[in-house]
Amino acid sequence: MSALAHYLEDEGMPTVSISLIRLHSEKIRNPRTQWVPFELGRPLGAPHDPEFQTRVLLGALRLLEAGPGPAVLEDFPEDAPGAGRDSSWRPEIALPVAAFAPAAPPLLAARLQAEWKAVAPWYLRHSEATGRTTAGASRLPIAECLELLAAFVGGAAPASPDPALPAVQVLRYAVDDVKAGYLEALSAGTGSPSSGQMQEWFWDTAAGSAIVALRSVLLASEDKRSQAIGRACLVPRAQLERLGLA
Amino acid sequence: MARLSDLSSAVQKVLQELECPRFDRQPFVRGPPLNRRRIALVSTAGLVRRGDKPFLAGEGDFRAIPAGTPARDLLMTHASVNFDRTGFQRDLNTVLPVDRLDELAARGTIGSVAGRHYSFMGATEPRAMEVNARALQRLLLGDRVNGVVLVPV
Repeated sequence: MSALAHYLEDEGMPTVSISLIRLHSEKIRNPRTQWVPFELGRPLGAPHDPEFQTRVLLGALRLLEAGPGPAVLEDFPEDAPGAGRDSSWRPEIALPVAAFAPAAPPLLAARLQAEWKAVAPWYLRHSEATGRTTAGASRLPIAECLELLAAFVGGAAPASPDPALPAVQVLRYAVDDVKAGYLEALSAGTGSPSSGQMQEWFWDTAAGSAIVALRSVLLASEDKRSQAIGRACLVPRAQLERLGLA
Repeated sequence: MARLSDLSSAVQKVLQELECPRFDRQPFVRGPPLNRRRIALVSTAGLVRRGDKPFLAGEGDFRAIPAGTPARDLLMTHASVNFDRTGFQRDLNTVLPVDRLDELAARGTIGSVAGRHYSFMGATEPRAMEVNARALQRLLLGDRVNGVVLVPV
């Protein structure tokens, strides 16, 4: 991010950067930076809080008028609202299986489909209520994403659903779609779980466990793209730590 | 949440050890008052319009997001899994504050909103983005943009 500011400014464009990692901004010394004390992935702080988002954005925009340079770094003074854990929250989706009893293929495929059958109504409820879903990068329905996931975990080498991309690349997008589907489904319930609570729920599902298993399969592959996807694009470091796999 | 001390030790370690680019020059470009600025957002969230090519790991190119693109048409295809996506799933403005920017333009706080916003994918080697960032400058000038807000994830 910060390198982009340098390149654009070097070409004559005034920029202001929002920063989530103050340490990096201190090192890179971009022209204008507003550091925000928010969770990674939430540069504006909080969903559905227009007033707060406006304060964050306006704080950054006002730095466009700041000087004298060459590097202005200011801290946004507020923490994001609603970022803490909600101890009263309980997931409302009743999952049909205990995810951490590992299922070997071909049982895994059936287990994933059974779980999705329980999750899907909540996903549809969320999609209907919000008018959107963020799943779709793989261009496959989520049930087919789960089929692809189970096939790879089982050691199969399925043909790529997209002739323009290797199967494992489509698999990466399919995994993102599965996560989006499950987490959007969870959002359809009541209460205000933190992102951490939502992540913990997901990684304890059968789908989450299958993605952890997929990581091992890809890391053991001889294909460099598969190894890279297994290493960086599947399981968050914080979850690897929580699951004792870091 | 979000100070380094709030993150897991594994994430802290990676962020603390990440090599940051250093630049010999420190350009600092001035512009008119905010109410005469035409503002574009440049995200590094790996956002693409539904149907566009998703980002590949390490890709330094960017995607255009025309102003007014509905939230339902945007996907996040960032390769990293080490940041929250549930904020984006609930509200696009958590990541790309297009509605907030439109409101500030309607109020006259900023001059106007660019015709297009843009997204790169962060976690990409900076040098891989350089040629594309410099090319983006020409598109921004063609849109009469004179202020950019860079938004990370």
